[in-house]
Amino acid sequence: MFIPLNEKTRVITQGITGKAGQFHTEQCLAYGTKMVGGVTPGKGGEKIFGLPVFDTVAEAKKETNCDATMIFVPPAYAADSILEAEEAGIPLIICITEGIPIRDMLEVSKIMKNSKTSRLIGPNCPGVITPGKCKIGIMPGYIHKPGKIGIVSRSGTLTYEAVWQTTQNGLGQSTCVGIGGDPLNGTDFIDVLEAFEKDPQTEAILMIGEIGGDAEERAAEWIAKHCKKPVAAFIAGRTAPAGRRMGHAGAIISGGKGTASGKIEALRKAGVTVAESPAEMGAAVEKSLTL
Amino acid sequence: MNTHEYQAKHVLQKFGIPIPPFRVVENINQVEKAVKDLGITKAAVKVQIHAGGRGKAGGVKLAKTVEEIHSHVKNLLGMKIINNQTGPEGVIAHKVMITDLTEIKKEYYAGAVIDRKNGTASLIISPEGGMDIEEIAEHTPEKIKTVPIPENGKLRGYQLIQMAKFMGWTGKTAKEGMKVLAALAKAFIETDASLLEINPLVETPSGEILALDAKLSIDNNALFRHPEFAEFYDKTQIPSNEAEANEHELAYVALDGDIGCMVNGAGLAMATMDIIQHFGGKPANFLDVGGSADVQKVIEGFKIILSDHNVKAILVNIFGGIMNCATIGEAVVKAVKELGLKVPLVVRMEGTNVEAGRKILADSKLDISVAKGLSDAAQMVVAAGKKNR
Repeated sequence: MFIPLNEKTRVITQGITGKAGQFHTEQCLAYGTKMVGGVTPGKGGEKIFGLPVFDTVAEAKKETNCDATMIFVPPAYAADSILEAEEAGIPLIICITEGIPIRDMLEVSKIMKNSKTSRLIGPNCPGVITPGKCKIGIMPGYIHKPGKIGIVSRSGTLTYEAVWQTTQNGLGQSTCVGIGGDPLNGTDFIDVLEAFEKDPQTEAILMIGEIGGDAEERAAEWIAKHCKKPVAAFIAGRTAPAGRRMGHAGAIISGGKGTASGKIEALRKAGVTVAESPAEMGAAVEKSLTL
Repeated sequence: MNTHEYQAKHVLQKFGIPIPPFRVVENINQVEKAVKDLGITKAAVKVQIHAGGRGKAGGVKLAKTVEEIHSHVKNLLGMKIINNQTGPEGVIAHKVMITDLTEIKKEYYAGAVIDRKNGTASLIISPEGGMDIEEIAEHTPEKIKTVPIPENGKLRGYQLIQMAKFMGWTGKTAKEGMKVLAALAKAFIETDASLLEINPLVETPSGEILALDAKLSIDNNALFRHPEFAEFYDKTQIPSNEAEANEHELAYVALDGDIGCMVNGAGLAMATMDIIQHFGGKPANFLDVGGSADVQKVIEGFKIILSDHNVKAILVNIFGGIMNCATIGEAVVKAVKELGLKVPLVVRMEGTNVEAGRKILADSKLDISVAKGLSDAAQMVVAAGKKNR
């Protein structure tokens, strides 16, 4: 199972010498994540924050025996970086990069689907955090609190909002997974729901979806059939007009499909407690625990 | 990025898809030459805009004489079309296509899209063309066939044969039709399209297969590797404030309400619109200032929100994660001063260094209401908007 992460999870950064890669590597180190190195082609042999930099992921894997990689490579090269990490056999590949061409992701999706060694989370996601243990990504660490809610989301700052609410009401989070706002991603709601269902730390699940695609509808079906833990949800985009892309590449209602109301209805039918407003996400998951 | 029909047709032609001859005119003086070049006396005259539903909106006319071609072009040039695809502002047709009339034996549909569920590109075909694929899907779903497109864009022979059978093509028509479908799949992949549609694809009485209409949207994220499409960008087809936002790398969508909002992150921006409606208001826009909003972006954001004169109040909702709330506070104060903001402003901040951020707003002595929570903020801005109406 790819979650929870822990103190021993060994992490590298691809694109570690770039601005974002450098900043967030430092932030993850400060949170206590066991960062063990990084990759930037042409900068092999250098050190950054005392961590060794390698030219290739294969070398980094061999030298550091890392369990996970966090990718900050620019969009034009990010697909390549994901495939390089897969070929090196890194179990958990977390791609933060936003703006990868969808054609590149078609190829990546196919390879990741058949990968025997690796799982991709993202792209265009904030990453994964097991509070108090390990943070791989760009989320602000201090808003989290170790606890019992598993959070899975297609969004970034809206997830922080949910995290903050569950920190405020004392529930805390077991693990938070951002699956990303792109139309094609490596890990979907069901993969994470399945992991939360098996994770003993997780007592209830908060799922944050948005307009576009049918990942929430499929998750609802899965929940109805397999999920024994309480689930709460919020779907963003009730007020979004059809046919317009709302920031995220994947957030678009097309041909009458992918509306918030359709998703909410499917989730309610599956017994999920749906928050009426984004201010009530924490309250909704709290309520789901009492049902 | 959306494109015009004539641009999409040029792309399809490059991939070998047969298209009836056409010319595009921008003023009435160009019509005579266009008609002469085409050597026609009858034509279809079609507005070129970045939206569907042109026919229903009266943007497509059939001309039976050269005089009629002239008069239709005259009427259609500058025509404003407002429908659910154009947004409330509507779009104006600055170009009109003149194309030869084609005798039609039967209409078909062929389109390529990304199939999110299966993680592939897909070709969607139907022997029932001429209407929206959504309509076909609703009424006669059995008349739609979906075929996965290999990543290299090369449909396999057996896939083409299956599709030709499904369309009911035989002989020469089948041969030509399969060529068109293969080219369509190849074009979809090679142009980094997010949508490529031929509707209708038609069979002529002599068994030819022709594309009478074409719709192409290109994946914005892939434009960097297609310099040839740079000239397809048409500012006139995008609401002016959205075009402005694009230039400043802000994600903005105009809506028809009166509460402006500026938020960091797409999901939170949508959720903010939702909570405004939840408390009885109507959002005027979607605006994501991104994760690294600085003073300049905040100023541009305000400018774009204010360019919509319906805006009666503004809500700034920032969850400062990596972004420091003090920085945002300073940016908001600077922007309000610089722009001399007149509409009521509610700011809700949460996250890193939030106390310092709120203090900066309070100390500024500007007329800014600072909200504690998300619900508070929404209720305050809705009330402020009503008062200012």
